[in-house]
Amino acid sequence: MPIELLLILVVVGIAGIAGLTWLAGLAKPRELDEQDARSEWARHYPDDQIASVWITHDQHAALVITEQGPGLLWVMGADTVARHLLDFDIMDEPHGLSVLFHDYTAPKVHLHLDEDERLVWQNLIYPQGPIC
Amino acid sequence: MLTYPDVVQWAVPFFIAAILIELTWILVKHRGGRYETRDAVTSLIMGAGNVASGILLGFIVWGFFMFLWALTPLDLGTSVWVVALCFVLDDLRYYWVHRFGHRIRWVWASHVNHHSSQHYNLTTALRQTWTGTFTFMMIVRAPLILVGFHPAMVLFCGGLNLIYQFWIHTEAIKRMPRWFEAVMNTPSHHRVHHGRNARYLDANYAGVFIIWDKMFGTFVPELDAEKPDYGLVQNLGTFNPIRVAFHEWVGIFRDMTQRGLTLRQRLMYAVAPPGWSHDGSRDTSETIKAKHLRRDPEDAGTPGFQ
Repeated sequence: MPIELLLILVVVGIAGIAGLTWLAGLAKPRELDEQDARSEWARHYPDDQIASVWITHDQHAALVITEQGPGLLWVMGADTVARHLLDFDIMDEPHGLSVLFHDYTAPKVHLHLDEDERLVWQNLIYPQGPIC
Repeated sequence: MLTYPDVVQWAVPFFIAAILIELTWILVKHRGGRYETRDAVTSLIMGAGNVASGILLGFIVWGFFMFLWALTPLDLGTSVWVVALCFVLDDLRYYWVHRFGHRIRWVWASHVNHHSSQHYNLTTALRQTWTGTFTFMMIVRAPLILVGFHPAMVLFCGGLNLIYQFWIHTEAIKRMPRWFEAVMNTPSHHRVHHGRNARYLDANYAGVFIIWDKMFGTFVPELDAEKPDYGLVQNLGTFNPIRVAFHEWVGIFRDMTQRGLTLRQRLMYAVAPPGWSHDGSRDTSETIKAKHLRRDPEDAGTPGFQ
């Protein structure tokens, strides 16, 4: 196949499928409730014993306190990703906090937080730690 | 010079049409799978990158195969039966390369991106490696060429194999007829392969014929009671195609260059099964299965835990 034709097909194909899924509402991020967060954490870390769960007001992330330590669960598209809070920094942002994992597979999570929840989350995530 | 068409490139319009049909089916019927915009775009970009890397680096594999072809005195010719035999033997080759791809971290580093989506639809089929050349798995094809299959024929059969595997990446098809499920790789068998459930880890490596898994003891049937949970044991927190393509290579580099390791330990981080660690702090598929059985001992002896 001529390379020019292949290039056109690939570009139009990707753009078309992206556009169609977007128009169909498939780009809308998932929203978490407490039960959902618990079952998603158990899916990612089945050996953990969950003590408590804090959901952000926008329902796109959850802080999960487990007997194995605290962890962050966040929405990625229609799914979720989770990491224990072991090796990370947090950064103040205009509309919340960013968690910077020292992890090439999950470099940064932005937590959209209202003013009243920012301090609570900051203390829960990193009680004594510095903020970048 | 013997030439065959580059069937994977010619199949691109079919891939796009089939994705549109599957997506439409899911939207209309509200069943048969899930799509998410950024996940699908990442998969499609990985597919485009795979074609591009084939165009850019294909000369390495081709040069190696033509070197072998110049060495061998054998030539099986180009009859239809030889092509058919080449297809079957190349599928056996695929089984072992794929098995190595899950059991040797160096090869897993290339293959992992194919498993990095938490979705399972036809775009997932196109989430292919950019770094396959660097695994050196072309060596596994050497016997085929040395016994007299022309390199162009071997690559043609490999292309057909990949095209066959496209349609099995779907939840829209539940089961095929029993005789077909017995011999061929199907959506049901391959859903198991993409499952991160402890039960389904390291199972169903087949490309076209599921018989290889049955012969070599790696076959696990899809259980109606346990839906596959797609993705990686530790899922990626990024849709960035660069990170998807290279994250395991970065992981190998970081692990191998840690301070205080012996030479053997550094080597093991590259060649041991994924999840191996010098201090036992990580989980391999064996430890994940063992932990599952500690939580759910009644699963012992059932498929995937035998």
